[in-house]
Amino acid sequence: MICIIALIVFSILGIFSATHRQLAKEAFDCVFRRITFRKCESGLDIRLKSRITGRLMKRSPILASKIHRHFELISWAFIILFIVSFIYVAIGGYNYYLYGNCNGPNEDGFCIFDPLGEKSKFSETQSCSAEPPNPESLTLFNVDLSLFPSYDKNAENDVVFIGCYGCPYTRKAYPAIKKLLDRKDVNFVFAHFPAKESTYFISNILNCINEADKDKFIEFNELIFTSDTISLKNEDEIFEVVEKIGLDKKEIKHCSYLERTHEITKLQMSELQKTGIYGTPTVFINGEAVVGPKPYRVYKRLLK
Amino acid sequence: MFNLVVEMNTQKIRKDFPVLEKGIIYMDSACVSLKPQQVVKAMNCYYNEFPACAGRSMHKLGEKVTEEVSKARKIIAKFFNAKPNEIVFTKNTTESINLVANSLGLKKGDKVITTDKEHNSNLLPWQNLAKRGIIHEIIKSNEDNTFNMDKFKEKIKGAKLVSMVHTSNLDGVTIPAEEIIKIAHEHGALVLLDAAQSVPHKEINVKKLDVDFLACSGHKMLGPSGTGILYGKYHLLEKLEPFLIGGDTVIDTTYTTAEFEKPPEKFEAGLQNYAGIIGLAEAARYLMKIGRKNISKHETELNKKITNELLKIDGIKIIGPEDPELRSGIISFNYKDADPHEIALLLDSSADIMVRSGAHCVHSWFNAHNLKGSARVSLYIYNTEEECDKLIEEINKIVEL
Repeated sequence: MICIIALIVFSILGIFSATHRQLAKEAFDCVFRRITFRKCESGLDIRLKSRITGRLMKRSPILASKIHRHFELISWAFIILFIVSFIYVAIGGYNYYLYGNCNGPNEDGFCIFDPLGEKSKFSETQSCSAEPPNPESLTLFNVDLSLFPSYDKNAENDVVFIGCYGCPYTRKAYPAIKKLLDRKDVNFVFAHFPAKESTYFISNILNCINEADKDKFIEFNELIFTSDTISLKNEDEIFEVVEKIGLDKKEIKHCSYLERTHEITKLQMSELQKTGIYGTPTVFINGEAVVGPKPYRVYKRLLK
Repeated sequence: MFNLVVEMNTQKIRKDFPVLEKGIIYMDSACVSLKPQQVVKAMNCYYNEFPACAGRSMHKLGEKVTEEVSKARKIIAKFFNAKPNEIVFTKNTTESINLVANSLGLKKGDKVITTDKEHNSNLLPWQNLAKRGIIHEIIKSNEDNTFNMDKFKEKIKGAKLVSMVHTSNLDGVTIPAEEIIKIAHEHGALVLLDAAQSVPHKEINVKKLDVDFLACSGHKMLGPSGTGILYGKYHLLEKLEPFLIGGDTVIDTTYTTAEFEKPPEKFEAGLQNYAGIIGLAEAARYLMKIGRKNISKHETELNKKITNELLKIDGIKIIGPEDPELRSGIISFNYKDADPHEIALLLDSSADIMVRSGAHCVHSWFNAHNLKGSARVSLYIYNTEEECDKLIEEINKIVEL
């Protein structure tokens, strides 16, 4: 049985080293002979067993003796462990492809394909909440989306992008979201959730932009999300962006200070709380929620 | 520190073998012996100082090589108590035996006798000739693997050649060569000794033995690999047809004829391994300086120590006679059903003890005895009592696994 493990290990090492390639060939021959009910003639199994036991004898003769006696059993245990690990890796790979995380949709456990967890991180929106994040509770049920800027193409897919201008993971998700927005088959809603309070005022500005021209929020988002030089805490710089997209910055500024605008923003925040959001970016695609900056393929998969 | 044999200072000898500084215990000298630095130095001398042709070029370097090779032949001749022109340099024992087998002019119906413990080198040439009609007869050994003289006396009648392993690499048993040769000669048969395992460990006096041909290898007697010797009585060498022919084997040629050199040159075709020959002579000189009787005694003493301890272990079976005096420096053994390769690998991995395992190129004997092989300890001048103690200690640990 050790030959099966040897075949796997040496095959991997053989990618980098010619010596191991030869051993992998021997292991393959050994495995092939065993599965065709013949004896392994290369002696690789004995060599491996003896080398392992011999080295252990130097340190612990008792342990060496136990391993030598139960070598076949231990080999089987390793095979089973390997098969189980392989299944888990395969599931992890499958999940990674579908959800951008090995552990399934909106899970944030360790993933070997994304060791730093960059595709699962989000900016917390409930910093004072004692409740742990609950992906199950994410919903658009009873949420009034008409309050938010939208781009309705009368298409079959509905994408709701809840993000925060000042949050790194929303910014990271933006290029993939932009690709969705550029599709003809997607109706798009953008909700600004200022996870960083210092950007709360931009929600007011965004609402005023939307009121002034329903299509302009897309240009505004493009400039805000893709620029690294704009200070999001500085009102003047934001109004400069407003001017750049062809709107009257005085008018928008005036609008953003109105009580009416503040009320709309509050109402939006209250609606967003109903979604159960715990981090940005959160993207609802046809009702299914995805948290964190995922690759485009993950979003695309959820389209009809 | 002096070892068992007072005449031999093993610790001093060990200093000539730099590889031993690695802390290894080398007990596979029946396969290939280690090389003392004197041998390596002698070979380097050739490459560094006179790397030219012998016997052809007239320049200074050519003359120097010719002189060194000639000196080497004289040293080897002295080593065997032979004449220099009776020493043919070959690649190894295998080539030496093949030379005799293919040059002796054996015809259909000629009988060749071997033992049942021949190395493949002294089995396959006769098997091959048997396909062309010679009669190959095998003398079965006694129960304890010693030579069966009675069977030999029965079969010697009508034999043309007796070709036998002098000391077996399988179990270390040495045949009574002198008596065998005497009987063979009485019956008009020639004798070829495969002395690959005896030459490095025993004093061989070819004149005293009265052997007709004797083959051995350099790599088992502290010499370089790729070197071998064929000793042959000069009048017999003269009668042999050359086996390999070409450059340096002839005095003159026309497009259709060739006038061959006299022995030994007529058998040494092509450019020779001069560095190897010089190294081989240095190895012979080294062995003569130590004294081959001392070597035999040293090995037998160590063998006694190992054998006595091994026989205390239940399940250990030594191949050949239990008496270590009959097995020179070789201890070939099996432990119950354990794979001999496993024993060798465990010794190597656990304590850097290097022994041989398998059929030792005597597959025929193992097949006839339904054995897979054996683990073989083979001792030499650089092995010590402490190493033997360590070997026993490790074998005991392996047995307990």
